[in-house]
Amino acid sequence: MTQATKSATSADKLEVSRRDFLGMFASGIFAGLVAPAILGEVTPVHAAPSAQGGDIVPVVDLPEAAEGEHPVKRMMQDLQRALEKPMDQRKWGMVIDLRKCTGCNGCAVSCIQENKLPPGVVYRPVLTETTGTYPNIARRFVPRPCMHCEQPSCTPVCPVNATWKRSDGIVIVDYDMCIGCRACITACPYNARSFDAGRFYGDEEGGERQAYELIPSPEYKEDRIRTDGSSPIGNARKCHFCIHRIERGELPACTLSCMGRATYFGDLNDPQSLVSELIGKPNVMKIKEELGTKPQVFYLV
Amino acid sequence: MKKTNNASLSRRDFLKVSGLAAGSLAVVGAMKSGFKTITEAHAKSLQQSADKTVYSACVMCPAECGIAVNVNKNGVATSIFGNPYAPLNSGVMCAKGSSGLQMVYNANRIKYPLMRVGERGENKFKRVSWDEALDYIADKIIEYKKTYGPESIIMDCGDVTDRDPYYYMFRAFGTPHTVEHGAICDTPRRHGPKLMFGGKRVEPDIMRPVLVRQPDGTLKNDYSYRSKLIVYAGWNPFTATRIVYESRGTVEAKLAGAKIIVIDPAFSNTATKADQWIPIRPGTDPDLFAAVLRYILENNDDENPLRRYIDWSFLEYSNGWEDFQSEFKSMWRKKDPLNGLNYFTLEWAAERTGIDAKAIEELAHTFGITKPAAWVWGMNGIGHHYNGYVAAIIGTALNVITGNMEIPGGAIDTELVKSDKGGAAKGEAFNKREVKRVINGTEVTSEQEKLHMDLFGDWPAGWDDVVGDYPRRFLEGVTLQQGPFRGHKYPIKAFFIRTGNPVITGSNTDTWIKSLTAKDGDDYRVGLVVYIDTPFLETGMYADIVLPEASYLERMSLCDIYPSHQLIYLRDFAIEKLYESKTQYDICWELAKKLHEKGDPDIKPEEIWEKYPTEESFWDEAIKVAPGRNHAGLPLPYPKLPVNYKLIGTPDSLEAGNVEIDDEKKVVKGEAVTVAWMREHHGVAVWPMSWYRFNNGGVLKTDSKKVDFVWDYEVEKDGEKQRKGGYSKYNKLIEESGETPRNIKPLKWQKYPRTFYWFETLWNPFTNPDYAKYKDEYPFQVVSGRIHHAMSGTQMVDWLGRIPTEDLWMPFNDERVVEEMVVGPDGPKPTGRRVRIPKGTWSIGVIQMNASDGKNLGLKTGDLVEMENPLGHKTRGKVNLVETIRPGVLRVPLGGGGRFSPGLGKTYDFRDISPNHNAIIDPEDLSPVMGQPAYGDMIVKVRKV
Repeated sequence: MTQATKSATSADKLEVSRRDFLGMFASGIFAGLVAPAILGEVTPVHAAPSAQGGDIVPVVDLPEAAEGEHPVKRMMQDLQRALEKPMDQRKWGMVIDLRKCTGCNGCAVSCIQENKLPPGVVYRPVLTETTGTYPNIARRFVPRPCMHCEQPSCTPVCPVNATWKRSDGIVIVDYDMCIGCRACITACPYNARSFDAGRFYGDEEGGERQAYELIPSPEYKEDRIRTDGSSPIGNARKCHFCIHRIERGELPACTLSCMGRATYFGDLNDPQSLVSELIGKPNVMKIKEELGTKPQVFYLV
Repeated sequence: MKKTNNASLSRRDFLKVSGLAAGSLAVVGAMKSGFKTITEAHAKSLQQSADKTVYSACVMCPAECGIAVNVNKNGVATSIFGNPYAPLNSGVMCAKGSSGLQMVYNANRIKYPLMRVGERGENKFKRVSWDEALDYIADKIIEYKKTYGPESIIMDCGDVTDRDPYYYMFRAFGTPHTVEHGAICDTPRRHGPKLMFGGKRVEPDIMRPVLVRQPDGTLKNDYSYRSKLIVYAGWNPFTATRIVYESRGTVEAKLAGAKIIVIDPAFSNTATKADQWIPIRPGTDPDLFAAVLRYILENNDDENPLRRYIDWSFLEYSNGWEDFQSEFKSMWRKKDPLNGLNYFTLEWAAERTGIDAKAIEELAHTFGITKPAAWVWGMNGIGHHYNGYVAAIIGTALNVITGNMEIPGGAIDTELVKSDKGGAAKGEAFNKREVKRVINGTEVTSEQEKLHMDLFGDWPAGWDDVVGDYPRRFLEGVTLQQGPFRGHKYPIKAFFIRTGNPVITGSNTDTWIKSLTAKDGDDYRVGLVVYIDTPFLETGMYADIVLPEASYLERMSLCDIYPSHQLIYLRDFAIEKLYESKTQYDICWELAKKLHEKGDPDIKPEEIWEKYPTEESFWDEAIKVAPGRNHAGLPLPYPKLPVNYKLIGTPDSLEAGNVEIDDEKKVVKGEAVTVAWMREHHGVAVWPMSWYRFNNGGVLKTDSKKVDFVWDYEVEKDGEKQRKGGYSKYNKLIEESGETPRNIKPLKWQKYPRTFYWFETLWNPFTNPDYAKYKDEYPFQVVSGRIHHAMSGTQMVDWLGRIPTEDLWMPFNDERVVEEMVVGPDGPKPTGRRVRIPKGTWSIGVIQMNASDGKNLGLKTGDLVEMENPLGHKTRGKVNLVETIRPGVLRVPLGGGGRFSPGLGKTYDFRDISPNHNAIIDPEDLSPVMGQPAYGDMIVKVRKV
């Protein structure tokens, strides 16, 4: 793993720009890159037919607010407005208020259960860093989804064009095209991609696969069932802002679940959206801006 | 296995195969059992997107958040999210709640009824039918009832609150011992509010949204945060998520201008967002609280706005403040033998708490001058110490005299304002039945409830049941000391434990094991132990019968929550019951039928299954008393309804005024809430919020309908003198019997004090002279911490098992190949597979130690050490040397290590390198009023092993 060059940016002040820090947490716990295992036969299995997302869900029907608005209701309204526009006029973005992240890891696990992620794959870990000497200590929690960069480093390195940035800003992977070379995993400066090594929770406990890993994953509205030898096993995997949810008007799993209500999601092209309002403040920063990747995930500090 | 044809692999497939080498956990041995690959048909059957959403209530922890469970056409739960219509969590869901699928669909679930075939603790069971299991149980308890009376049977409903069918059935059978985990939780913390308000837990007013009546008459959601100061002492809501809204509420309140102060020996996750962290010495919270109260009383100046700490309007709704104050002041005129300083001075408190006197002064001044504020104390800091009562009483007084109770942005006693539930479904009427017992040759007739082993035995004020004292009762039996049945003796012959694990969490582990395995001849002294749960935990290992209870997605009941106003939601059937599990209702009603068939005289069909023929009918009974609180406060929830009348009925009917008003009983009755009504309303009923709910008595539940600063007093009513106050009825019993309860004798009390009291905690060499001698040899105080991701019953859940938390729950496992154990049809059995677990991939409970202490002992992070207390109890674990804890203090997770039930997956595999906190607590250290084990009072020495 290479050491990224340090420069004096706001990211440095947060001390999350160090690659080793990101790497340690992303891989150490969830991804655990270790161990030779059994090599089995791989039979290509085609993806299940796509079950289209269907109707847009209604916005939560909460009582009228005395002032302000419930962030879930506000963001769902933002989504509905965005979905009325053509796809290329939307620009999905996320804002994470680090002052409100309580380090609960709810987002990380909510994402795992929603996208049926296997052992070793995590889209949104919460990085934790503690600094200082007793009794002067600080601990920071930094949830790290894919940054959905304007200038992604991961997509140009794909030898088969299996990953690209959509016109609405989401960086996706086509599992059928991906050959699992892992060039994108290495290229991403945020460690936001993981490799699906074909593990199953049930294999590692008791030997019987459990219902939560046998049901189809709603990812990319493809309803794929993960079975031995078929995609997404052997592919690079990453956060896709829960496209399947947002395109039916629901918030990404992480955003809805966030215990501190620290995560916001919406259309950055819509000046009325909550995310646009939040990033128009002076306390906004992005991680590793110096690399020129132009992340579309903004942090409030 | 499918045939291999490597030659035909394409380039893409080749890369994919090589990718498989990256697994972090691999099966290396033969696979004798299990490992079924999904069939195509099975895959197709599962391949359905969410078909319905069921609104329900979580039970991954006792916060019981509102949830929305997505279920596909085949009845498989596909995801769980927070229910945005339940204002308690308002759509949020923590890691634990989000991992519910992995608990429900877990290899280690108990699948079938089991009967023990080996000795207790040997884990030898056979699968039996429900009929056989219930037959066995019914025969035993009928025999015990005939020989020893039904009072020889305990039904302990553990940590999960939806237990009403068990209460109902066992009370009907005749035992007064239907209990919850209450007094192995945090009872000293609840004691102040209980005595002074009739309440339980004081929390800040930061649950948002709240539904509030507007000046124009409409009801609207209020999202504004008004708090200016929140003090969390020994309370870590970000990690102990019991009061779930304190996560989002604290950070929002802070952004809205509130100052947050966290008082805790460890730098908790909550401390990360605090403006100030005060690392206090463990067990000295009452000292700090008392110094703050003294400072406020001595320095209050009504004329000086910068010193106007006390809001004297509290006297209008208080009773006995003068007596309380005078007793408090008489204590501060005395000198502490340990340091020669006057009690409660800043210098005295500094000496004991290890906090700078200047910092204490600033804290006291800040709390006094800043309004609205909330002084909040928690489970581990106050609830787990022998003298936590003192802190809870002073903490309650601090909120009251500064005028912070019930003001917007201030403090709320959540017990007083939550919705009522249970009603007749709790079966309390059975406890009033007349029973006869022959005591020393004399026949005595009184009510069933007066046979209670704690309330009429050694713990007259142990109103939450003294579970920590059960091992002694199992061994010694019960002799009632108080009340009409005084002198009545009986043994404990049957122990039912449901959704609880006292072997790990109910005081000292060895003491529990010894009492559950004690024999008289060939027979176990406690002749029947029944374990009922979804996971298989340690207590199950000592059971004769193990019953699989349906998981929380497979059963119905009501949430039990601590919101800022009346709010209740339904736990509903989301999926079909898995394996042969049964709901609480099924288990109880089927057992009742068995008992009836076998001729039990107390089980009457018309009172049980004929009365509540369906689960829905039973829960309709339980919910029809909601909200059941007095209509009080400002803005008044329903301006057209009379003030201080008890409200019953759906929010709709109360809003519409579709009610009957009973002026005699002071009750307003709308249309009863039902399961059907809840289902039509996202599973949730919300009644409006108000503040100032102590006005004219309001929601207060004390005898005086005021805040009681005295707990045993006389009032004159209709020319007659009446004894009132929170301790009065216990004192009456004590006076009648002339018997001072065993638990308060060490305090040199004859009965319970009438107002402010003070006593020292145990095992604290810094505050209690009796233990000063241990200071050098046992230099570390041990406290417990919470790991919300993985408490006692959920540590097998993989999604949680990997997440490090607070330097306390860390991926410190070594690499090992283990013989896999799984709870199979015959109980825990080896699967025949050998599984390699790579280093650093599984979080385990560790011993959190300050780096400077580690350096002095020549330790490094990851070293295995042994902790030993002065009683010779030991436990082992890996140290984590960090800056995030006060020197001289060790923190270990309660229930987070030494876990020897094979039902705990990889947590079981690392039982030898993770510490069991309850291995080293003093089994005799049960806090004196309510019998809570003092988990936080122990000292140890540490050596490397």
